[in-house]
Amino acid sequence: MSLARSAHPTAARPRESGDPTTDSRLRGNERTLASAKRFLLRHPGVVRLGVVILILLVWEISARWLINPLFVSPPSRVLAGLGSVLTTEGVPAALRLTFFELAVAFAISVVIGLALGLAIGLQPFARRSLLPVVLLVYGLPQITILPLFILFFGIGAASKIAFGVTHGVFPIVITVVAGVQNLKPILLTSARSMGASRWQILRWVIFPHMIPSFFAGMRLGMSGVLLGVLLAELYVSTAGIGYFTTMFTESFDPTKLFGLIGMLAAMAIVLNEIVRRAEIRFSRWR
Amino acid sequence: MASRSEKAQRLASRAVQIGLLLAVLVLWYLATNFWGVNRLLLPNPVAVWHQFIEVLRSGAFLPDLRVTATEFAVAFTLATSSGIMVGYFVSRSRYWVRVLEPLLAGIFSIPIILFLPLYVLFFGLGLESKIALGTTISFFPIVLATIAGFSNVDRVLVTAARSMGATNYQLFRHVLLPAALPVIMGGLRIGFTIALLSILGSETIASLAGLGHHIVELAENMDMARMFAYIVFVVLMVALLNAVVSRLEARGRRYR
Amino acid sequence: MSVGGVAVCIKNVSHQFGEAGDAQYVRALADTSLDIVRGELLCLIGPSGCGKSTLLNVMGGLTQPTGGTVEVAGRPLRGPRPREIAFVFQEHALFPWNTVAENVRLGMLFQGVPQAEREKRAQRSLEAVGLADFAGHYPGQLSGGMRQRAALARALSLETDILLMDEPFGALDEQTRMVLGEDLSVLLARTEKTIVFVTHSLGEAVFLADRVAVFSARPGTIKKIIRVDEPHPRKPDFVTSEKFTALRNELYELLHDEIRKAMTEPARKRDGGGGAA
Repeated sequence: MSLARSAHPTAARPRESGDPTTDSRLRGNERTLASAKRFLLRHPGVVRLGVVILILLVWEISARWLINPLFVSPPSRVLAGLGSVLTTEGVPAALRLTFFELAVAFAISVVIGLALGLAIGLQPFARRSLLPVVLLVYGLPQITILPLFILFFGIGAASKIAFGVTHGVFPIVITVVAGVQNLKPILLTSARSMGASRWQILRWVIFPHMIPSFFAGMRLGMSGVLLGVLLAELYVSTAGIGYFTTMFTESFDPTKLFGLIGMLAAMAIVLNEIVRRAEIRFSRWR
Repeated sequence: MASRSEKAQRLASRAVQIGLLLAVLVLWYLATNFWGVNRLLLPNPVAVWHQFIEVLRSGAFLPDLRVTATEFAVAFTLATSSGIMVGYFVSRSRYWVRVLEPLLAGIFSIPIILFLPLYVLFFGLGLESKIALGTTISFFPIVLATIAGFSNVDRVLVTAARSMGATNYQLFRHVLLPAALPVIMGGLRIGFTIALLSILGSETIASLAGLGHHIVELAENMDMARMFAYIVFVVLMVALLNAVVSRLEARGRRYR
Repeated sequence: MSVGGVAVCIKNVSHQFGEAGDAQYVRALADTSLDIVRGELLCLIGPSGCGKSTLLNVMGGLTQPTGGTVEVAGRPLRGPRPREIAFVFQEHALFPWNTVAENVRLGMLFQGVPQAEREKRAQRSLEAVGLADFAGHYPGQLSGGMRQRAALARALSLETDILLMDEPFGALDEQTRMVLGEDLSVLLARTEKTIVFVTHSLGEAVFLADRVAVFSARPGTIKKIIRVDEPHPRKPDFVTSEKFTALRNELYELLHDEIRKAMTEPARKRDGGGGAA
């Protein structure tokens, strides 16, 4: 694999034109180059950071000099403008409300998803009858009924939470069912042979077995909740986040628009990361 | 374990499923006809059925379907070609896989639909913003699957092919590609679904035409029966597309 | 080191999976009778799918036979008797989310052994199998051989009179099974347990068993019982003795035709019946 060469096309060149009379200073350079190369090879994260910086740089340059400033704002200006986004009246409240909606929708999704998943997964008959229904409903484009949610629940938090739950609950149900299902029969047999009661089997065998898939489900559920809540937030243009994105768009204020969306993206990243950490933590034995 | 009782169980499962569907329809019918649920919130199923037939017969759905289908076709084509190409080139170096894969996966974990307002600002309310967003969203699962597919090919297979004297091209054509294809197909499948959903979604949120836009328009005019008819239409379309794609996918990975 | 008396009495046991005429219909056991003497180590050996594991599950009360009766300690068996019978299964019967020590303690917890007693017995049985230093490891961190030692420790900690082992070393490599076999023989010489041990390996059967019950191809039944007169613990040089070779050859003769017979059956039938191995 020629990864070293493709990663650092210049690094290997001095040696090729190898000249025995090269002075020691150049050889020193060569050594530092070689050790830099080794460092980068061992730390791909540094190069990854470099790629991100490069992208930001291209964005900065093109936004400053190449693209109409009505449409795109350079990252430096977005960063500097974050304060003005937060001081726009109503924005902090809208962000707080969105966070609240995400948290509530996620909690409801987890509770319902776990209960439904266990109810369906533990009963072979229920699984065979109801899992196809769950999968079918999950596969439908729920986005088409978003307007209905707003009609039913209004433009406030309720509709957004409800829409978030419909997106978050299915992946949790499905992974919990799968988690209960793929338990190795030998583990049940072995527990039975040691005299475990039904409750003990649930508590000590099925439940711990299910934990990793439950957390994986929670991660997918979190993605779903984020999608559902943010879709609903963006859809309702008369209140909350949607109001501000529409306003910033219509007033051609890309700095504030980028800033607001950047903050929401950061919120999403943090929430995703919390769930992902929890998943790693509770799946240690794997 | 007896097949007779197995057959009976399968029938019972079917019965539960059909019963569930019937229960929903009956409840819906009762709620709108006898329990006085506001027709402006929930239209009568019979009225929805009539509207559905009307929409199908008149072909009123065609202009919006054309818009949505165009957006989807362009976006999915762009995402597929760019995703597979970028994925293949990244996968050629283990080092660059380690550099770029976490970055791509990280971006993919953000709900990209968030960026819709930026796309609208940049590309306007027309087809372009939907195409751009659909392409962006479906690019990620495709590129990630391509990277995973090519970089996880069993080394033993590569060594075996090399030992039999395979050239680089032969190695790609007969070992790498067939080994990676099922994984790539999985990525295409996900990309397909979320491209469709994000295009419908962005039509719902901000647009001038398309099926998603039409549903919103009907909702704003409180034309509930027709709106439900359109929802049923879109849901059936997507279900049909999904079934077709599943069939294709199953054929593609038959040897597994 | 027979203690005498019958620990398990199997009378005319037969078992079938599914019903006659079904696709999955399998006659796993046909009219099998066997007395297992208290304190002996009996090996069940036979071709794949001959029903030896089924018989073991029947003895443990995990499977209700479709015909015949089983008595354990003089009482008819109707279900698992965890206080009298412990199992060691093939690989992967440890709970992967629990450490080795937690796995051992869990079996006792199922039976309501008090906490302090659990600790003591877990410690003792882990020491007996030489795993005391690995009590805090997860099964996934151990080699196959160590995992099976842990499974054995779990079974020993239950302090049952009867130990049923279902190809416990089946997934291990030849050299590891040799070492584990020697250790098992040493360990068992010190206890008075009645042990039934299912295996595929001729050498393992001769090395470990007081008696070897040879199964016929399916529907399985016991074709012959061979006695191995050699005191426990058995030493490695037993393997190279003429007695060992003669017994092994005798087993080979008995099994050879049965294995051929089993292999010409269609594959689906041999795999059918969920655990009829």
